[in-house]
Amino acid sequence: MIDENGVRADGRGPGDIRPITIETGVVPVADGSCRMTWGTNEAIVAVYGPMEAHPRKIQRQDRAVLDVAYNMAPFSTTDRMRPGFNRRSREVSKVTQDALESVVLLELYPRSKIRISIEIVSAEAGTRCVGLTAASVALADAGIPMTDLVVSVASGKINDVVVCDLNKEEDNYGEADLPMGIMPNSGELVFLQMDGDLSQDEFKQAWKYNMDAAQEIHKLMVEALNGGDSQ
Amino acid sequence: MTIPIVPKLLRSHLSDLAERDARIDGRGRWEGRELEVQHSILPRAEGSARVRMGDTIVLAGVKFQIMTPYPDRPNQGGLMCSAEVRPVAGRNWESGPPSPESIELGRVVDRGIRESGCIDVDSLCIIPGEKAWQVILDLFAISDDGNLFDAFALAGITALRNATVPAERFEVGEDYQLSVSKTPIMCSYHRVGGRFVFDATAREELGGDERIHITLGDDNNVHSLQKGLKGIFSADEFTEIMDNAIERTEKLRKIVDEL
Repeated sequence: MIDENGVRADGRGPGDIRPITIETGVVPVADGSCRMTWGTNEAIVAVYGPMEAHPRKIQRQDRAVLDVAYNMAPFSTTDRMRPGFNRRSREVSKVTQDALESVVLLELYPRSKIRISIEIVSAEAGTRCVGLTAASVALADAGIPMTDLVVSVASGKINDVVVCDLNKEEDNYGEADLPMGIMPNSGELVFLQMDGDLSQDEFKQAWKYNMDAAQEIHKLMVEALNGGDSQ
Repeated sequence: MTIPIVPKLLRSHLSDLAERDARIDGRGRWEGRELEVQHSILPRAEGSARVRMGDTIVLAGVKFQIMTPYPDRPNQGGLMCSAEVRPVAGRNWESGPPSPESIELGRVVDRGIRESGCIDVDSLCIIPGEKAWQVILDLFAISDDGNLFDAFALAGITALRNATVPAERFEVGEDYQLSVSKTPIMCSYHRVGGRFVFDATAREELGGDERIHITLGDDNNVHSLQKGLKGIFSADEFTEIMDNAIERTEKLRKIVDEL
């Protein structure tokens, strides 16, 4: 998976991320949208709202609520993904919602709802990071005020070496996974998960890789939002 | 799907336009929107297509599974077609179990493809009575600005015609191209402002009445028909639509066949 010079099977160095493209306005009927490809991941995110929140019991008198749904299309995986409810999608939806509610200025829209649909149409590894990052671009494309964008990226460990942004093959043999959601302007976090086995030193290295990658990805997001596709 | 309130103003505006033989977006009565068809665009699918008609965008993906043939048809594989319209595609589409609207979409597209016989189910048999291929066609809406039916049908047949049977991955031989012998094409007509038009937008659907879907095969053979929503139409009206569909499907078939 990784040779003695630190070169990975796909030619990347330990801290390198896969190629990324970002495009906005890809769902013409939505208020804001984003298509993001990252390696062979592809996410399409649409934002609708702010709009009336119903049923009424979900309304908050002092702020808007987000309604985030993360979903994998049936043809997004090697073995067909059966459509419908699944626990993993529910959890990813929830943590993504928690992350985005931390940056959107919800108090500007009392009693309303902002709907964010994240559709993974091609999955490789790290789809929750693609989904969260693309969702923050789609929110900005919809003109929803936020304190900052969110860049989500993960680092992990293969063959006892800490590497950034695992691809599918690496993920299958991965020994750890540390996805983070970073506000690129302040370096603060709104999303954090981890599973696997990392020493304190390895953990610090993974954290640093994510922070550095976030700055790189942030540039592409800003470029896409300022018009013109990023490559 | 939540059905939004239909503004009376929209209906009367559409009627006024119809009287002048005009449409809300300036098209002629039988004129389709700008069309873009691409194939093999999804890396995880064995066949795929993306269709864009104006602001309507859909994806189609083909996956394969190994199934045990049904006891009464031991030499046959199967074809399954399902359509999903999730909230991503428009503000009126909701999450939850498939809505009647999306089930109708999937079933009408399925019938057109299945009944044309374009996929030879006998060729999907691997070991008689034991193993056969199940072809699964998933239709997925990205942006709904009306006439998802035609977009789905076009994406579906394009994805199937460009699908590879993943025999190596399932260790049952070498990969080969799925054989698709015909190109069934659907054309849909909506009653808007009192008369039928081709390829309605979401606003025309909202302010219109019944719709009719026609799927024609290579020799103009009829493979599926569906009338949807409330409304009454005459035999003459149907003849007019059918004549238009014959002309239209021929052009669309050429586009798909030449991809």
